[in-house]
Amino acid sequence: MQTETTLAQADVSELDLVKRCQAGETEAFDELVTRYRTRIFAMIYNMVHNEQDAWDLAQDSFVKAWKSIKRFRGRSSFYTWIYRIVMNVTIDWLRKKQVKGAGVEFDDAIQLREVNPASKTLPKADPLPFERMERNEIRQKIDKAIAQLSPEHRAVILMKETEGMQYHEIAEALGCSIGTVMSRLFYARKKLQNLLKDVYENI
Amino acid sequence: MKTFEEKWTAWLDGQLTGKELDDFEASLPDKAAAEAEKLEVQKLGTLLKRELGARSFSNEEFFSHQLRERIARETAQARDGAKSTWWTIPRLVWTGATSLALFLICAFVVLHGTKPVEQSEYLTQILNMRVDPAVSPNATISVFETTKQDRVTVIWTEGLQSLPSDYAAK
Repeated sequence: MQTETTLAQADVSELDLVKRCQAGETEAFDELVTRYRTRIFAMIYNMVHNEQDAWDLAQDSFVKAWKSIKRFRGRSSFYTWIYRIVMNVTIDWLRKKQVKGAGVEFDDAIQLREVNPASKTLPKADPLPFERMERNEIRQKIDKAIAQLSPEHRAVILMKETEGMQYHEIAEALGCSIGTVMSRLFYARKKLQNLLKDVYENI
Repeated sequence: MKTFEEKWTAWLDGQLTGKELDDFEASLPDKAAAEAEKLEVQKLGTLLKRELGARSFSNEEFFSHQLRERIARETAQARDGAKSTWWTIPRLVWTGATSLALFLICAFVVLHGTKPVEQSEYLTQILNMRVDPAVSPNATISVFETTKQDRVTVIWTEGLQSLPSDYAAK
């Protein structure tokens, strides 16, 4: 959960930053954005499969967060709170777009790269062309499989498997019960097991 | 009461403990198959984490820059919006009060200009006196008034045999 938080950032507590945001300090909000932008963008991208849409939705989510930060009472972590905004924005957008999950909206031109936490200090080892092709193929299969899930099921499986969030955190972010989260997780996993069996069997 | 789906999910994620875990595992018809599926789900989780968890985007600084500009713009717009609203209400009140004052002034002027002519003192007196029908059975009294220049009142009487004494005294 703290992949982008550096040691320098860690000494400024999140709650302090939130309080400064509530006092109208945009610099503090900028700091929070820096901490979470990558994970939030990645999460939205995994939901919508289009870089431009993910960018816009991430921007909308942060703007909404800024506008409503005074209402944040600190009952949950800031991350869970902003995730709720992100999920509302993204799921609403997906519903409006009426994505049926056939993988129709893939952005093949996207240039994604892996986050290497030590990339600033160590030379990055690029994968071989064959390996890169293979990884791209796997990612496409995963994207297509996820696109076949409903927005709610996508949200649950991504928060659980890629973010490592607990049931209660997911429930809070989605505004539903823990039982609903577990039930959605059950069906989402079953579907992905069927669609990706040949992929995960070979890893 | 948890459903099967909830218990299964909790079991896969290692969230079942104690008696709940024992009861659930005892209820499984084929524990070996369930364990195999658990392994599959773990592999699926590893795959998703490896492939999707590592995604990023390349223009983080530009993203923040754009966001800062958007927030500044929207905050300024909101402030201007609040300002213009603040000015609109007094302006509306001022306009309303001025309009009302103008209306009252106009109404006062018009009403004064067309003030009905006061009834003649004499006519009032004659009408109030009630001519005695026994004395003057066919008496008619007509009054003509003009206010074009000086006020002139003409009283035309017919068949009046005598004037009321009060009137005569005037």
